[in-house]
Amino acid sequence: MAGEKEKVVAAAGGCCLRPFSCEQGLLSRPDGSAAFLQGDTSVLAGLYGPAEVKGSKELPDRAVLEVLLRPKVGLPGVIERSREQLLRQTCEAVVLGVLHPRTAITLVLQVLSDAGSLLSCCINAACMGLLDAGLPLSSLFCGVTCALDPNGAIILDPTTRQEQEARAILTFAIDSPERKVLMTTTKGSCSVEEGPCFPP
Amino acid sequence: MAAAEACVGQVVLPGDVLLLPAHPDEDGERLRLGGGAAPRGRLLCGPGLRRCAAGLLVTKCGLLRHRQTGGGAAAGGAYWVDSQQKRYVPVKGDHVIGVVTAKAGDVFKLDVGGSEQASLSYLAFEGATKRNRPNVQVGDLIYGQFLVANKDMEPEMVCIDSSGRSNGMGIIGQDGFLIKVSLGLIRKLLAPKSEIIQELSQLYPFELVLGMNGRIWVKAKTVQQTLIIVNILEACEYMTAEQRKQALAKFSGN
Amino acid sequence: MTRSARASSPSSRPAMKATPLSNCERRFLLRAIEERKRLDGRQCYDYRNVRVSFGADRGCCIVELGKTRVLAQVSCELVPPKLNRPTEGILFFNLELSPMAAPGFEPGRQTELLVKLNRLIERCLRNSKCIDTESLCVVAGEKVWQIRLDLHLLNHDGNIIDAASIAGIVALCHFRRPDVSVQGEEVTVFTPEERDPVPLSIHHMPICVSFAFFQQGTYLVVDPSEREERVMDGLLVIAMNKHREICTIQSSGGIMLVKDQVLRCSKITAVKVAEITELIQKALENDRKVRKEGGKFGFAESIPNQKITTFKMESAAVDTNNVEEQAEEIITKADPPSEVFAKPILHTPGTAQIGEGIENSWGDLEESEREEAVEEEGESEATAFEVQKMETEDTSTLREAEKDEPIVLSDSEEEEVIILEPQELPTKARPQANLKQENTSKKAFNKRRRKKRAVR
Repeated sequence: MAGEKEKVVAAAGGCCLRPFSCEQGLLSRPDGSAAFLQGDTSVLAGLYGPAEVKGSKELPDRAVLEVLLRPKVGLPGVIERSREQLLRQTCEAVVLGVLHPRTAITLVLQVLSDAGSLLSCCINAACMGLLDAGLPLSSLFCGVTCALDPNGAIILDPTTRQEQEARAILTFAIDSPERKVLMTTTKGSCSVEEGPCFPP
Repeated sequence: MAAAEACVGQVVLPGDVLLLPAHPDEDGERLRLGGGAAPRGRLLCGPGLRRCAAGLLVTKCGLLRHRQTGGGAAAGGAYWVDSQQKRYVPVKGDHVIGVVTAKAGDVFKLDVGGSEQASLSYLAFEGATKRNRPNVQVGDLIYGQFLVANKDMEPEMVCIDSSGRSNGMGIIGQDGFLIKVSLGLIRKLLAPKSEIIQELSQLYPFELVLGMNGRIWVKAKTVQQTLIIVNILEACEYMTAEQRKQALAKFSGN
Repeated sequence: MTRSARASSPSSRPAMKATPLSNCERRFLLRAIEERKRLDGRQCYDYRNVRVSFGADRGCCIVELGKTRVLAQVSCELVPPKLNRPTEGILFFNLELSPMAAPGFEPGRQTELLVKLNRLIERCLRNSKCIDTESLCVVAGEKVWQIRLDLHLLNHDGNIIDAASIAGIVALCHFRRPDVSVQGEEVTVFTPEERDPVPLSIHHMPICVSFAFFQQGTYLVVDPSEREERVMDGLLVIAMNKHREICTIQSSGGIMLVKDQVLRCSKITAVKVAEITELIQKALENDRKVRKEGGKFGFAESIPNQKITTFKMESAAVDTNNVEEQAEEIITKADPPSEVFAKPILHTPGTAQIGEGIENSWGDLEESEREEAVEEEGESEATAFEVQKMETEDTSTLREAEKDEPIVLSDSEEEEVIILEPQELPTKARPQANLKQENTSKKAFNKRRRKKRAVR
């Protein structure tokens, strides 16, 4: 809810996440906004919608969902484009776009600082932003990044250094009620058995 | 999963599934019993809720509310989620404030803050005829009601009620000021016997038009007085009732 | 002195698809400015609150000017120098209007506003020679540092240029580039662990201060908000450092300014720049201390103190002087000011209806009844509204005012007021509505009966 701050600090444990926190409704112009911090990684999400469709993207049966990921330095490149795709597909799975046909929902994600697990932080910021905007959602979702270090151990929510050392990095988007995987992406190589999946 | 009744007044999140009080699987007994003696109340599922196989699916974050409708049995009534949002989505029957953006033939186009502009016929004013057109300019404010509002069609507004009377609707004067607040605050202000309105009205006389689309038009005697009301209303978004009373005490106390 | 009278009128910027400005807003804003009053209670020469927060990375900061927010990030890279300047580093500035800042902004579009802002930033930060470019040279003619400043507007509430210039200079001051050593032909770049990174050498800090002019320059306000920008006639931007050296000056909107006005503006600028520079230095000092002590810094600093920080409303310093007297006067007067009641006073309390509306998945209804259900929804809401109207000649209001009563626009039990209560809906008011409702409910009832039979 706007003007409220939800703050959760994860309890320290063996295989733990970095402390994370979230601030919602911090921008005055967008219909919904949220900043999500995971350790030193943080992403700001601003969202407009359901709003007028720009151009000829209008869909007769559902809302057009547009995700823009803006890097801090330079213009969006190939990595941003591919992540935008992943994020859009994740959000589309959850947003009940059929309730607002012929409208556009624009989600802009601005990277504030990248210290590892950026994609999962984007997913979390997107979810909090959608929640703040009051868009109809079939469920909540969250993102988790895991890194497999050369020994095969799993590191949750890795930092940039851990990501560099890792053999493989896996990012999952998981929905809230049934803990189903909405989206997954892998970088590096890992065996099928190693494909871990655990909700936070 | 929790029973809908138990969650009333609590925060619900999208993805939560609420069990229906009179769902056949869960409450078949009551259903059958109710069928004989008292007619079962109709269950309405309002904004922020959707029917799904297991019960009611919550789609918005907010407080779950419930209201009995027409004295039915316990199973009936309306459930909805009281959520906070900024973007307005037209609802049939809502009274809103629109800004005229264009005159296109027989209709005016109004910006109401939704995804699409609303249309308003020049005949939809009290006493308007083909010859006697209302004097509406681009940029004027209009207080009207939605006659047509659904997801698939262009919303249409009117400034008359079903009996052809203006009933307070129409063009809003050239003076005064327009502000935009969240939809939650508007609902709070529009609630019968709203505390904020009552407290504000202790200050000095002023005019107020509240649109369900989050727009408020204020006019007081002077620019300064209008500005004060505007600032108090905007601040209400962030103040607790206690803080508000303190702030207002500054004006009315002495 | 005014260097350019560029033809870019502020009103010709791309029409915001957001809310169009209504005539009444425009009139009110101009009237308020004539009375030297501003929406947020500021005086004409008041600046909004400036807040600087740093990111975890070097050279990253967010500047908040009221509700306007700008993110800045400085980065560097070793590149070959420009041919004509072999011993100078390269500076690159880029301001982006992120689509999150306002609904009208499109990604990657070079709007007139954006070009204008970027030029100003360029003139403010490059042409003022505030950064020593020669110290960025590593090997003359071969390798120099390219310093890149990325500015992102995150939320637009007016006066982008001032916020961007502050963010830009703060980020440049905060930035540290890796240390390098040159031995013969070989250039070694040290990581932060090997050698402490070095700050840029910055000679002075130019800061932009904007002035909005109204009524052909008759009225002026400092640091215009978004709404003020929409009704202004012209804009004067002065960039200055704390030594009172003017770094750039630009007037747009095609207004004629007399010499005295420009001089007065430059005096105001000097005061504001001194204040802002002090604030920046304090912020930088604070950040340095925190980093040294190894404490939490960056945006993450707000995590441990479980505070509600979000969107605190800045206390509006609305001038409330003599309002009480005025109000008193009005209340004690036997007749309320007529113009207040010149129009019908509307007040429409409604029910807790959430602006959703299109979701017609109401319970207990079959597909075929959807249409009616929607209608019914509308009707029941309409009836739940208590539509009241008080006419101009409504004596009740007058009487109320005479009794020293508040001018309550609601719920007075006077007979003129028509209250349509949902339960005791008077049939005369909405005969059609009732009929429809009866119809639908009857149908719904029948349907339910049928359904129940099926269940049995």
